[in-house]
Amino acid sequence: MDISYHKCTKLLTAALCLLAVNSASAQVAKDTAEKIDEVVVVGYGTAKAKEFTGANATLKGEKLEKMNVSRMDQALQGQLAGVTVSTNSGSPGGGSSIRIRGLSTFGDNDPLIVVDGVIYDSEGLNALNPSDIASINVLKDATAGIYGVRAANGVILIETKKGRLNAAPQFEVSGFQGFQQTAKKLDMLNANEYAILKNEMFANGNRPMPFKNTALGVGTNWQDSVFATAPITQLNISATGGTATSRYSIGGSYFDQQGIVGLDKASFKRLNARVNFDTKMSDKLQLSSVFLFTNENRSGLPENGIGSVLYNTINAYPTEPVRDEFGNYTYLKEVNDIINPLAQMQNSYNWAVVNKFVGKEELEWKVTKDLTLTNRLNYNYALVDNKVFSPLVWYGPGKAQNTAINANLDPSQVEIAPGTLIDRGASVYEGRNTYGDLNFESFVNHVKQLTSNSTLKSTLGVSVFKRDGLGLGGTAFNIPNNSLDYADISANLAPGGFLNNVYSFQFQERLLSTFFRTEYNRAGKYILSGILRRDGSSKFGPNSRYGLFPTVSGAWVISDESFWTFKKVRSLKLRTSYGVSGNDQIDNFAYRGMLNGEGVYVFNDIITQGVAIGRASNPDLKWETTHQFNLGIDAELGESFTAAFNFFVKNTRDLLFQPDVSALMGTAGPGSYPPIINAGNVHNRGLELELGYSKQFRKYSSLQVNFNTAWLRNKVTATPEGVDFIPGAPFGVGGNIATRFQTGFPIGYFFGYEVAGVYQTQAEIDASPVKQAGAKPGDLKFIDQNGDGVINFSNDSDKKMIGSPIPDFTFGLALNFRYKSFDVSANLYAAVGQEIVRNYERQQPYANQLNYTINRWTGAGSTDENPRLTTDLNRNTVFSDYYVEDGSFLRLRNLQIGYSFSNRMLKKMRFTTARFYLASNNLITLTRYMGFDPDIGSIGGPLGSGIDYGFYPQARTVSLGFQFKF
Amino acid sequence: MKKGKLLGLLTVGILSLFHSGCKKFLDINPLYTQDAENYFETAVDYERALTGAYDLLQGTFIDIWIGEIASDNSIAGGESVTDSEGLHEMDDMKHDAVNQELRNVFRWNYAGIARANYILEHKNKIDFVGKDKILAEATFLRAFYYSQLVKYFGDVPLIIDKRLGADEVTKTSRTPKSEVYARIEQDLQYAAGILDWNSPQKGRVNKGVCLALLGKVYLYQNKFDQAAATFQQVIDDGNYSLISDVTKMFAVANEGHSETVFDVEYTGAEGGSYGCLICLEGNAAPGFHGIRQYDGPVYGDGNSYNLPTKDLFDAYEAGDVRRDATVLDLDAFIKKQPRPGDIKFAPGGGGHTGYYNNKYIKKQGEVGLPDNDLTSPVNYKLIRYADVLLMAAEANARANAANEGRALQYLNLVRTRAKVQPVTASGSALVEAIWNERRLEMACEGHRFFDLVRTGKASQVIKDFVPGKHELFPIPQVEIDLSGGNWSQNPNY
Repeated sequence: MDISYHKCTKLLTAALCLLAVNSASAQVAKDTAEKIDEVVVVGYGTAKAKEFTGANATLKGEKLEKMNVSRMDQALQGQLAGVTVSTNSGSPGGGSSIRIRGLSTFGDNDPLIVVDGVIYDSEGLNALNPSDIASINVLKDATAGIYGVRAANGVILIETKKGRLNAAPQFEVSGFQGFQQTAKKLDMLNANEYAILKNEMFANGNRPMPFKNTALGVGTNWQDSVFATAPITQLNISATGGTATSRYSIGGSYFDQQGIVGLDKASFKRLNARVNFDTKMSDKLQLSSVFLFTNENRSGLPENGIGSVLYNTINAYPTEPVRDEFGNYTYLKEVNDIINPLAQMQNSYNWAVVNKFVGKEELEWKVTKDLTLTNRLNYNYALVDNKVFSPLVWYGPGKAQNTAINANLDPSQVEIAPGTLIDRGASVYEGRNTYGDLNFESFVNHVKQLTSNSTLKSTLGVSVFKRDGLGLGGTAFNIPNNSLDYADISANLAPGGFLNNVYSFQFQERLLSTFFRTEYNRAGKYILSGILRRDGSSKFGPNSRYGLFPTVSGAWVISDESFWTFKKVRSLKLRTSYGVSGNDQIDNFAYRGMLNGEGVYVFNDIITQGVAIGRASNPDLKWETTHQFNLGIDAELGESFTAAFNFFVKNTRDLLFQPDVSALMGTAGPGSYPPIINAGNVHNRGLELELGYSKQFRKYSSLQVNFNTAWLRNKVTATPEGVDFIPGAPFGVGGNIATRFQTGFPIGYFFGYEVAGVYQTQAEIDASPVKQAGAKPGDLKFIDQNGDGVINFSNDSDKKMIGSPIPDFTFGLALNFRYKSFDVSANLYAAVGQEIVRNYERQQPYANQLNYTINRWTGAGSTDENPRLTTDLNRNTVFSDYYVEDGSFLRLRNLQIGYSFSNRMLKKMRFTTARFYLASNNLITLTRYMGFDPDIGSIGGPLGSGIDYGFYPQARTVSLGFQFKF
Repeated sequence: MKKGKLLGLLTVGILSLFHSGCKKFLDINPLYTQDAENYFETAVDYERALTGAYDLLQGTFIDIWIGEIASDNSIAGGESVTDSEGLHEMDDMKHDAVNQELRNVFRWNYAGIARANYILEHKNKIDFVGKDKILAEATFLRAFYYSQLVKYFGDVPLIIDKRLGADEVTKTSRTPKSEVYARIEQDLQYAAGILDWNSPQKGRVNKGVCLALLGKVYLYQNKFDQAAATFQQVIDDGNYSLISDVTKMFAVANEGHSETVFDVEYTGAEGGSYGCLICLEGNAAPGFHGIRQYDGPVYGDGNSYNLPTKDLFDAYEAGDVRRDATVLDLDAFIKKQPRPGDIKFAPGGGGHTGYYNNKYIKKQGEVGLPDNDLTSPVNYKLIRYADVLLMAAEANARANAANEGRALQYLNLVRTRAKVQPVTASGSALVEAIWNERRLEMACEGHRFFDLVRTGKASQVIKDFVPGKHELFPIPQVEIDLSGGNWSQNPNY
C-alpha cells in the first residue's frame, strides 16, 4: 500500500487519512497471516487448516457477497464439492434443499447450521443477510460428530463479520438494484394450433369437433400475462473497528425482492440489524456478544402443485382471453379445477411476518496459559405471524376454489351452533407461533505441551439445549365489505366474535450433551484426534434416550517429512476419519400414543368432535445413526495450485420411518398414523475433488479459479420388515405413484413403464408378441418387463426404474479475474445425470398443451415419439418414461463485472474503496429439459424430489451495484 | 499452572454433577393433551371415543363405487383410465392384490374396528348411567365393520376387545368366515337387546338398525328362516314405511323420512378436498358422480365417476318412475331444458355412457358449501325400508318354511310404489322376480355386485367374471406382507 502520510495531508484531513492507513495496514497483516496459518472453526474450537484431520470445505465472505443472493444457501450452490443445493422454490424468500454428501434418510436431510455457535434451522436462513457472513465452513465427514445426535447430515459453521483490535472505524455502504425476469417461457400451443389439435383429438374420440373455425390467430399467451419484470433491491451499511481491548462490527441491511410471478403477491422483504462486540474485560476474561435482529415479510402464492398459479397458467387454454368484454376475468369453463391464474393472483392475500432475535453472550476465561474455560448462552427467539385473507370470489362454475356461491358473490351459510347460521363471507386466518431456544454451553480447552515437539489439545464440555414453542390461531368468517381493509379477526361479524378452525399448541424439546475431543499433534506432521459425544434427547422414548457418538480421525503431513524432496508439491496431507453421528429430526413426543386423531361424526346434523388415537406409540424410538468413513488428500502444488480430494462411504442405519403398518393396528383412520419406528438403511458413497488456482500477475492483475466436482452414488440398502417399498409422490391426478423408496435403488427413484415407441398400425398391434390391452394405433407401446407376453396395468410387474432425481455428477466453477481497475467474476454450476418428471400437464380434453404435441402421431409412419391425441380411452397417461426427461443442466449462476476507482481518485473522494458493478444471475442455462427450470428441489420430503408441477423458476436478474468503504 | 488445572478440573466436576443430576430435565410431558393410556376417566370420555368409532362409517361411500362399478350397472368413468385406477380394474374384472380402493376398504374398516375395540377394551374401567348403551353402539359398529370385511374379503382376522401392537400383528391369521359371522350375529343380537327402537339423536344406531343388519347378515349366509324372522321383527315392531314419492328419496331436505333405517350421516358444513377422502365429513360420492364441466341448471359439476350403463337404463319397464330417478339420461335432460344450447358439459377420458348416477349426484343446493365442489350433505342410505322389504321377500321365498304370500306382499309394496304392475309368481320365478326388483329398486346404491355374488348370478351378467375367484376380492398384498406373510391369499389371485 503506497499511502504516504505526506501525500495524504495534502488532500485529506489528517484524521481521515490515519483511518485509511490503519485499516489498510491491518488488512495487509491479516491477508498475510491468513495465507500462512489459516484457521477453521470446527465446533467448540478452531484448528489450523493445515493440521485439520476432517473433510471440510470453506467459503469466504467476499465470494459470497459477489453472488448477490438473498439467502446463504443460494450462494453455496456449486461452490463446495459434496454440498448440493437445489432450489425448492424460485419465489422470493423460497428455500432450498442443502444436502451434504447426498440423501441419507427418508426423513429430514437438512444439515445442522451453526451461526457464531447458535443453532439455526434451515427455514431460519432467511434471517441471515449473506453480506454479514465472514466465512462458512462445512464439516462433511465424521468430524462433525462433535455435534453428536444432530450431526448426521453434516454441519455448516458460519461466522459473521467481526471487528479488529486497534483498528479505526471503517464504514461500508453497499447495495444493488436489479430487475428480474423469467429465464424461460414454455412453448405452448397458440390458439390456432390449439383449435386444430383439439378438433383432431375430439374427432379421434368420435366426438363432435369443438371448433368450427380454427383460424383463431395466436390467442392468449397466459405466460405473458402472468410473468412480470420484478425489482430487487439491497442496501447494507456497516461499521467495523476496534480499540486496544475491544472490537466491534455493527451493521444493518434492507432487502426487498418482488416475484416474477405475482410481484408483491410473492415478495420477500428483510430488515436486519446486527452487533458483534468483543471486549477484553481483563487479561484473563473476554466477553463476546452477538446480537441479530431480523424482520422478514413474505407473501406467497400457491406454488408447485395442482392448483398453483403456474400450473393454471400452463393449462389455461389460449382461446380464452384474460378478461371478457366487461373487463372481468374469464372463467376457463371448459377445464376442471383450473382457474384463471390472474384472477387467482389478484385474490390471493397471504403474509408471513417473522421477527427474530438471535444472540450470544460468551465469557472466555483464560485460567492459565494452557487452559481456557468458555461459558456461553445462546438464544434464538422467533415470532411468526401468519395471515391469509380469502375474499369472496367466483372463478367460474364448478371451480373448487370458489368461495362465493355465484358470480354475484353471494356468500354461503355456515352453521356455527345448532340453529345459528352466519354468512361465511370473506374470511381471514390469523396465527401466531412463538419459538424460543435457549442453549447454555460450557467447555474447557486445554493445551498441553508433552515434549518439545508434541502437544495434546483437549476440549471437554457440556451443552444444555431447550426449545419451547407455542402457537395460537383461528379463522374468522364474514369479514365486512369483502374487503382487505377489514381483514382482521376482530372485525368479523359473527355473534360473539365466533372463530373457526381455532388451533393452539405448546411443545418443549430438550437436549443434554457432554462432549470430549482430544488431539495429539507430533511436530505438525502426525495428528490423531478422537471425539466422543453423549446426547440425551427428549425426542426419544424413555427406553432409549441417550446416545453415544464416537469419532476418530488422523492426518499425516507427508510433505513435512525429511524424505519429501518433491519441491513442486509444497504441501501434501493425507487424512482419514471414521465415526458415528446421529439424526434426531422428528416431531416431539413422537414416541407417545396421543389422542389427537380425528374422530368426527355428524349427529343431529351437527359436526360432533370425538377422539381417536393419532400416531401409535413406540417407546423404543431412537435416533438414526450414520457411520461414515472418509479418506482424503490435501495438496498445494507450487505457488498457485491447491487440490483436495475425498472419498467417502456413509451408511445410515435405523432410519426414522413411518412406514405402513398392518391395517389391524387401526392406524388408517382419519388423523391416525402409524408409529414412527427405526428401520431401514441407506448407503451413500462418493468422490469429491476441489482444485484451486490463484495467481498474481504483476501488480495489477490477478486470477483465481476454483473448480469442484463430486460423484455420488445413493442406494437404499434396507426397508422395514414386511415393507417392499415406500410409495412417494403422485403423478397426475387419481393416485398414480411415481416415486419410491426401495432396497437396491436411489432414494425417491422414479418407477413406471418403459416406452418402446408408438404403435403404428393395427396390424402391428395384432402381430405383437406382447398383448397390450386397449392399445390402438398411435398409442404408446410399453415394454413387457417380466416377459409374460402381457402388459400388466393392474400390478407393478411391468414397471421398472425409469429415472432418479439425484445427479450422478455435479460441477462448480468459480472465476475471479482482476485487471487494474476492473474485476470479473463468474460462477458456473452443472448437475448431470438426474431426471425430472414432467407433471404439470393436466390430462383434460380442453387443457392447453406444450407445442411438442404438434408432432403427435397422425397415422402410420408419422412419428414414433409422441402418441395420438384423442378423447378416447387410452393408457398413454400412465406414468412412463414418456413423462421423464433428462434434467441435466449447466448454468451460469452469476456473472459480475466491477470497476474500482484507483487510489488516486479514492483519495479525492475520501474513500478507501469505491466499486461499481454490473451483475447478472442465471444469465444462461443450457439444458434439454422442457420445463421452466431444471434446478428443481423437492415438493416435500426426499420422495418428492424432481417432480415438476410448474415449478416457480428462479429469476434471471440483472443488477447494478456499488460498494463504498471509508 | 497447578492452580489452573485444579480450577479446570473443578469446573468439569461441577458440570458433570450438574449433568447427571439433570436426567429429569429430559422427562417432559406434552401439555394439555391426553394419551391413549390415561383416558376413559369420565362418561364423556366414552362418548367421545364412540364418536371416533362412528367416524369410519363415512368411508362407506366407497361401497357406492365398488358395488356398482364391479357389477353390470356402471362403468368406472373419471378423468382418465388411470384416475382411481383401482376402480377401472374392478370394472374390467382385472383387479388383483394391488388396488388402492380395495386397500382403503380393508384399512378403513379395520380402523373402525380398532376404535370400537379401544372402547370395549376399557368397558370395565368405570361405571356410569348409560354405559350399556355406549358399549352396545360400539359393539354394533364393530359388527358392521366386520360385516363389510367379510362381504369383500371372506375370511378376515377377528380381533375382539383389544388393540394390537406391531409384534402381535404377525401372530394373527385369517379367521374362517363362519366364525366371523358367528361373532357378528352375537354382537348384533347383544346390541339389539340393549338399544331402543328410537335413536336418542339423528345418526345414532338403534334396535331397528341392529335387526336389519342382522337380517342382512343371515341372508348373506343363506340362513333364510332366521333372516325372515328377523326382518319380520323390523317390519312388525319398527316404525317404518315406504314414502310415496320415490323421486324424493335422496333429497337432503327429506332426510330422516319414514323409509330411513340406517343412514350414514354426512354434512355440507365443513367442505374438504381430495387429499384425504376418509377425513371428509361430507359425502364425496355425489361430487365424484357429478357431470364433468357441467354448466347448466339443476346439477353441479363433478368428476363423471361411476356412470350407469345403457343395460341398466333399459332394464326398467315403461312407466317405472324409478328409471329417471335412478339414471340420469343427460342428453334427454338437456333437450328438455328451456335453453339447451347454453348447457355445457364434457365427457371424461375415463369413459362416457351418457348416463349418470341420479341418486347420488351433485345437485345445486346440495353441495358442501365451504368447498362447493367435492363434498355433499346427502346421507348414504346403507339400509332403507324398501331394501328391508325386498330382503324379507327373498328370505320368505327361499326359506325352508317358505311364505310366498308374504314374499309377494313385500315385493308388490315396492312395485306399487314404483307405479308398475304387481307380480304374481311363485317358486323360482318369484325368486327371480325379487332379484330383478332388487336391481331396479337398489341400483346406484352400491348393492348390485354383492347381490350378484350372493345369488350366484355374477358370472352370468358380469363380463369376465371368473367363478371361484371373483366372488371375493383379493386381500391387499401389502397387508399380507405387513402381517409377516402369514395370511393366505383368496383363491386364484
